Amino acid sequence: MQSKTKELNPVLEVNNLFASTEDLPILKGVNIAVNPGEIHAIMGRNGCGKSTLSKIIAGHPSYKITKGEIKFTGQDIQSLEPEQRAQSGIFLGFQYPIEIPGVSNLEFLRVATNARRKFLKKEELDTFDFEDLVREKLELVKMDSAFLSRSINQGFSGGEKKRNEILQMALLEPKIAILDETDSGLDIDALRIVASGIKKISNKKTGIILITHYQRLLDEIKPNYVHVMSDGQIIKTGDSDLALELEKYGYEWTDNFLKKQ
Amino acid sequence: MQIIEEIKNNELVSNPSEIQKICLDKLKLNPLPNVKSELWRLSNKSKFSSFLDYSHKNKESKVCIPYKNSSQNIIRLIIGENSKINLEEENYSIKELKDSEIVDYIKKNISTFDQNDHWSDLLNHCLSSKKNILGLNISGNKIPSIEILSASSSDSFNAKTLILFFKQDCKVDLLQINLGDENSSLSQSTYLCLEENTSVNHGVVSYGENKSNLLNSLNVIQKAKSSYSLGSLHFKFNYARFEIRINQLEGDAKTIIKGIQITKNKDQIATYTKMEFNGPNGILDQVNKSLADDKSHAVFEGTIIVPKTAQKTDASQLSRNLLLSKNAKIDTKPQLEIIADDVKCKHGATISQLNEEELFYMRSRGLTLEEASKLQLSSYFQEIISCIPVSKDRWNLLDKLLEET
Ligand SMILES: Nc1ncnc2c1ncn2[C@@H]1O[C@H](COP(=O)(O)OP(=O)(O)OP(=O)(O)O)[C@@H](O)[C@H]1O
Ligand SMILES: [Mg+2]
Repeated sequence: MQSKTKELNPVLEVNNLFASTEDLPILKGVNIAVNPGEIHAIMGRNGCGKSTLSKIIAGHPSYKITKGEIKFTGQDIQSLEPEQRAQSGIFLGFQYPIEIPGVSNLEFLRVATNARRKFLKKEELDTFDFEDLVREKLELVKMDSAFLSRSINQGFSGGEKKRNEILQMALLEPKIAILDETDSGLDIDALRIVASGIKKISNKKTGIILITHYQRLLDEIKPNYVHVMSDGQIIKTGDSDLALELEKYGYEWTDNFLKKQ
Repeated sequence: MQIIEEIKNNELVSNPSEIQKICLDKLKLNPLPNVKSELWRLSNKSKFSSFLDYSHKNKESKVCIPYKNSSQNIIRLIIGENSKINLEEENYSIKELKDSEIVDYIKKNISTFDQNDHWSDLLNHCLSSKKNILGLNISGNKIPSIEILSASSSDSFNAKTLILFFKQDCKVDLLQINLGDENSSLSQSTYLCLEENTSVNHGVVSYGENKSNLLNSLNVIQKAKSSYSLGSLHFKFNYARFEIRINQLEGDAKTIIKGIQITKNKDQIATYTKMEFNGPNGILDQVNKSLADDKSHAVFEGTIIVPKTAQKTDASQLSRNLLLSKNAKIDTKPQLEIIADDVKCKHGATISQLNEEELFYMRSRGLTLEEASKLQLSSYFQEIISCIPVSKDRWNLLDKLLEET
């Protein structure tokens, strides 16, 4: 089934995407199109393929696209390496951010930021200028600068890891941000902080996809569209009220909807 | 194996010294190590024979200092190139051993050698002429860093011997650098004796050029209350063996061993360590890393011997290895011989690859595969390099390694 959101110049366009890992099909014809300034939410049962979709868009090497295409600002990105996608403005906030012992968070953030700046033909930042920038962005997610001197995500609490993801998004200023369950594991205050951070970072040119299981985040950031994913497909698309209905009736309700089709 | 032939035919050394004579006699009957023994079975036979193929008669070595000079106060010695050393300062003294002291010391050691265990040292003593043996008495503290260089020259076989006595209460940083030239073999045997209450922070950096070979043997004796820390780095050798034997004579001492070996192409580098506790309350903290790429082969075997007298020994040995290619090979094996019953002995070995998920995470932020791998490798190297006593601004070993790998 086709989402109804296709317009002329989407920042991200996924067309009839089929993908598998080690011959196990996971995505079975996904369609979605995100225009600049739009916020989309994707909901769906555990295991339906939400994270897989997001990782495939970011270029994870474990998955193979068997059919369909992904377009970013009009260009097919299938042949691009993950780093090329990131540099050109695709951002994935991980459901499970990876811990990398021994690699300094600050150095990592600096190299990443400069890679993106280089692509944007902006001047690369030295250590001092970068520290100024990062301090400003830390304020957005109310993170302590002590996190910078630690190894990437190592020993961070669940909530701290998610804030570190949003910090990275703030530094990289992406054109499309896919935030995979950034709200999971956040306490009530942290959820508000993260949500307001996301709102501040996004602008008329950015597209955002929020993958979530909860209405709470969508109360803070009102999506333009809500998609329901089931077994590797988007089976229903609606406006923000769809999330409320889902909350009320559960996924069986959308299953029935699928049967009626 | 030119050298072996010459030993058999009594042609190796024309005017042998007393020590050379003893060792030549020992090796004449049985010139090669037992290739089936644990210490030698993994050694690549053809590489080992090419190690023995260079003539030792060709050239004297000439050392090129591998980093920029600095204003830091350093005592730099080059084995085979030194004139007399006799330093007597307010806080310390460094004096050359007398010839007779050297001869007695080596003779005493040879008499206890098992031919197979110490084959590398026996070969070294056959070949190392008086000029290429450096022996020092070191005492005091506030000693400037000591650097000792040893090198081979191209198309030849060079043998160098180093004997250092650290007197009671001595405290010192010692950096040993072994440089292999193109198409050459270097045999380096080192003896360190740590008296009571000494603290020696020892770094060993060995690397070669195209087709260099190295046989590096290190023998350390530790008396009670001594502390010995070794940080070692071996890379860029066609064939290299690093043999470490450390004996805590009375226990009650501390030993730290942090080593890394890096192999590429078809290199083979092997590290054998033998840690012996001959008294109670000894401590060992050992980490050995191997990084193997291309079709190379890295070997690590670590023996720990804890006899009945060595109660309350606390030993930990970890072997943490990284395979960078499907065709590379890493062999690692702990050998624990523990008889005492009240000991803590921890050991473990892992062989892994660069972590895919970690790499993807970094790449998804715009770091190239190369940058991401570099960050991972630097964190892997850093743990060992930080134990090598040389300041980063003088010689940036991490950068050097990242360039090479
Ligand atoms: N690398 C992989 N190897 C094998 N199976 C995989 C792999 N990646 C995903 N899968 C499978 O694909 C399905 C979709 O997984 P995915 O992580 O995309 O689900 P999800 O919708 O994000 O679920 P959740 O809400 O629990 O996060 C699951 O059944 C999962 O086990
Ligand atoms: Mg998921």
